[in-house]
Amino acid sequence: MSRKFLCLTSFVVLFLLAGCADKELKVPLEDVGMVGIMAFDYIDEDKTQLTVAIPQYSPQAEQNTQIFSVATDLVSNGIVEIEKLSDKKIVFNQLRVVLVNEELARNGDVLKIIQHLYRNAEVGNKVLIAVVKERGEEMLRYKYPDKPNINFYLNDLLEPSINTAFNPNTNIHDFMYEITNPVLDPILPFIDKNNDKIEIKGVAVFKGNNMFDTIKPEEALLIQAIKGRKNLAPLDINMNQGHGKERLMMDLIENSVKIKSNKNIDTPKLTIKLKIKGTLSEYKGERENKLNTTDSLAVLEDDVNKELEEDIKKFFAKLNDMKVDPSGLSEYFRMYHHGKWKKEMTREIISKLEVDVEVNTSIISTGTLR
Amino acid sequence: MSTNNKKLLNAYHVVFLTQSIMIGTGILSLPQKLSSLGYNQTFMPLLFGVIASVTLWPMIWIGSKYPDANLYRINEILLGKWLGKTINFFFILQFLVFSAGIISNYMHLIQSTALPEQTITLPVICFLLLLIYIVSGGIKSIARFCMMTFFITIGMMFFTSWAFQKGEMSHFLPLFNFTGGEFYEAMKKGYLSILGYELIMFYYPYIVQQKKAYKHTLIGIWISIFVCFITTAISVMYYSEWQLKNIEFSVLNLFKAGEFSFVERIDIIGITLWVFLILSSVAAYLWCAKKGVDSLVVKNSNAYLYILAIIIFFVVKMPLSRNFQDKLFTASNYVGYMFIIWPLLLVILYVLRKKKQVQS
Repeated sequence: MSRKFLCLTSFVVLFLLAGCADKELKVPLEDVGMVGIMAFDYIDEDKTQLTVAIPQYSPQAEQNTQIFSVATDLVSNGIVEIEKLSDKKIVFNQLRVVLVNEELARNGDVLKIIQHLYRNAEVGNKVLIAVVKERGEEMLRYKYPDKPNINFYLNDLLEPSINTAFNPNTNIHDFMYEITNPVLDPILPFIDKNNDKIEIKGVAVFKGNNMFDTIKPEEALLIQAIKGRKNLAPLDINMNQGHGKERLMMDLIENSVKIKSNKNIDTPKLTIKLKIKGTLSEYKGERENKLNTTDSLAVLEDDVNKELEEDIKKFFAKLNDMKVDPSGLSEYFRMYHHGKWKKEMTREIISKLEVDVEVNTSIISTGTLR
Repeated sequence: MSTNNKKLLNAYHVVFLTQSIMIGTGILSLPQKLSSLGYNQTFMPLLFGVIASVTLWPMIWIGSKYPDANLYRINEILLGKWLGKTINFFFILQFLVFSAGIISNYMHLIQSTALPEQTITLPVICFLLLLIYIVSGGIKSIARFCMMTFFITIGMMFFTSWAFQKGEMSHFLPLFNFTGGEFYEAMKKGYLSILGYELIMFYYPYIVQQKKAYKHTLIGIWISIFVCFITTAISVMYYSEWQLKNIEFSVLNLFKAGEFSFVERIDIIGITLWVFLILSSVAAYLWCAKKGVDSLVVKNSNAYLYILAIIIFFVVKMPLSRNFQDKLFTASNYVGYMFIIWPLLLVILYVLRKKKQVQS
């Protein structure tokens, strides 16, 4: 009896009181604007121009992307301003690319901007960062006639496609990891608009919290090789080792690296052993018709070794001058150093660092034709 | 369930009770709490495991002297009725605030990551209802729930594999690169994360094979320690020292490193599955509080369980500043250390009493 009564009362109460609940304030999916790209451009020391690109799904709209741009001093304030302009609620769950223009990277506080995004739980970890040569806003506003929506285009360009092209893709975590780690200087892809397309021009190297210089993709490839990445982008080698000018292209490269340090931070010295395995995909030069025996290939391998060793040494000489350490070589000294490691120590080490390089190339195949 | 001392807990019940109570919200922020050691925190959980194994011994020993009494009874026997009851009352308060602390911590985490647009009132009520349901089944149902929890959540280890692949082994070196002050700081903040095994003093009378209880509890402790060790090791590999210090819930960011093409944010899956771990910890604490109330009042009734749950609800939702709440919960965390020391005191008292009895 009492149980029946309880059931009845609870049913009645629940039924009637349902009307007293607050109306839920949830935004329906159609009213959510999912930001795909954010671009930051330098105005002056305090202000940045914040531009966001939001895919437009409404069939009535003529453009497939919505672009909003405001000048702001705080990132979150800029987002509030954009929300005022937009017909939708701005969310960052689908953020894919963050662009920073070169001027801002050189003079502004990139770390603060990225840190703001890193703090935001909404932002996923697949957000890629890139430095733009001119202005990010222009890049977003430009119509690329033969390309899809800019949101997809830029993301696909920066997304690591499986070692078809060189790509130093850096997501938010990588950037925060590199910039806060005293043994590393971050690198970011450096992109530029070239007529109707966007191109990865090179790699921006940071020194401390600001961009310092750009380096060529070939050099950045060496950084990746030394960092121990397993699969490398195709390697383009210009050789001059006693056989006149030669050019060759190696593909599908497997890389392994062994680094030994002398554990002495006063006279730092590293021995780097690189092992590269790959397919010779194209060759141009004097020996073109002689490369059909294993002996001749062995000679070629030796020449490639020498050439690569020279390249790497040259590159390290450059790093010595620049005093930046994008490949994290000071880690091999930090590992054996007791006490706190500071950024200045990295600078000192990289300026004094001597390297012994030993490259061991093996050409596995040259294709199916003889 | 019945309050007479039936033996209910088998060996595997004991193992998983110990194991699941230890892992709650603590492990989520363990790398951050140990961050004063920087990269050297890797092996701290192992040290904690050794300390836990040692401090477990007096707990089991005092339990074995009174095989049919839980800690509340032992307090009354050794300290006298009134002093014992007063202390039991404080134990209950401690358990309530401690549980409220865990729940509040977890709910705020849920609010900031998974449900940013909602208040936590409804989730807390649902959580407490589930909690009452589990606890009213008695210690055996909690133990069973703990086993289920373990097998459901252990799969989450897989989510850390991406971070493991990306990490740098070289971060482990150099070993022992810290000062005494840093070590003390890490010890003080970090040991909290593995508290929970001390509840053996309360469910000891229900164990079937009391002789082997020490061994079974140890297995449970070391499973948890191993999980903690993996967490800190992968965090050390994946993060820079700055990140270790500044990312509050390191484990969530480890999950975020995951790359599935069809799931954008694995951390949400992780954090929502985590509710099992929280439930299993808090259920055990609430059960202990309920036992405490039983020992204080003459008439046993299930109504006390509801009252305790309501008290927890009000502690979590109390209209005081976040600052005060934080202080209260931190204080209760440090009081939690008392349970490690308490059995030692009881052992000393017991030995003194025995001597007296022998002399007289």
